[in-house]
Amino acid sequence: MLLHILNRAPDTPACRQALSALGPADRLLLIEDGVIGALPAQRAAFPGVEGRLYALHEDLEARGLLGRHADGIQVVDVEGFVALTEACERTVSWY
Amino acid sequence: MRYAILLLAAPYSHQASHSALRFARALLARGHTLEGVFFYHEGVHNAARLAAPPQDEPHLVDGWAALGEAHGVPLQVCIAAALRRGLLDEREARRHGKQGASVEAPFELTGLGQLVDLGLRCDRLITFGP
Amino acid sequence: MHDETHHGDLLVILRHAPHGSSWLREGLDAALVAAAFERRVTLLFLGEGALALLEGQGVGPMGQKGTAPTLAMLEMYDIDRLLVEERALRDYGLDASMLLLPARPVGATEMAEELAAHSLVLNF
Repeated sequence: MLLHILNRAPDTPACRQALSALGPADRLLLIEDGVIGALPAQRAAFPGVEGRLYALHEDLEARGLLGRHADGIQVVDVEGFVALTEACERTVSWY
Repeated sequence: MRYAILLLAAPYSHQASHSALRFARALLARGHTLEGVFFYHEGVHNAARLAAPPQDEPHLVDGWAALGEAHGVPLQVCIAAALRRGLLDEREARRHGKQGASVEAPFELTGLGQLVDLGLRCDRLITFGP
Repeated sequence: MHDETHHGDLLVILRHAPHGSSWLREGLDAALVAAAFERRVTLLFLGEGALALLEGQGVGPMGQKGTAPTLAMLEMYDIDRLLVEERALRDYGLDASMLLLPARPVGATEMAEELAAHSLVLNF
């Protein structure tokens, strides 16, 4: 199981590429501008990633998106980010 | 666990350097070791000795240096990527006939082989890009 | 130690076309260095990166070298496992006859498998 880290908004090549390289059990963490994808209106951008989609608390908060994110996205702080990298065998960053 | 960080973005242009530094501090706080931070591509600008950000902004170059010194973390800057972008330590400055150095300890100029070594030796390599 | 599911030490993903930025060149440099250290390297040309494989590239107007000469050296470094995203070939209308090196087209499922089958993935 890999952790994919995405720091770009949904409508970008980086996001498309991350999704096409995502394995069936891999997890996807949204950081930086990636957290724009956590908005409920962007839900359709992450088909099939239910239960495996995470967003970084501090990046949501800084952008006024905390509390506005879609249900089903798991919000983690930076310690949770480290914990995700512990649990996943390896990480791949998409930017 | 043994961690390594690869930083590919310049400070103050992208959030990546802030994210990487936060992540580095957090992994150390959780009891892991950070075996090295490798600066490549525009990430080499994080080693710019002369960076002088306004006082009310986080000083990223000093932040990396403090982390390196406090935890004995090697701060390795790709020499080929650095020289092209005007980042030279004293030795390279002398070698190229330049006055003044733009990189100083604890940052060290090193080869790209160090990145491969770090990546394969550590349990985790986390990349922060622009 | 040989493992059937292990395809190599390092997977370098190249996502940028030549000349417009240094991403492609600096990604290839990492691959060459790893190979020089006797690591098994796979290259995956993804998205715009597929254009790096196009035949007929030249130098830039200021004499910028570009990356085609580096690609020509890959064999010397024993980097012979080259993959290219199927979708990128389609998107840019490329076929095997236009490429300067043979690269095997891979779909999404295979890409995910490749990522899982290397000890280290560097994404440029």
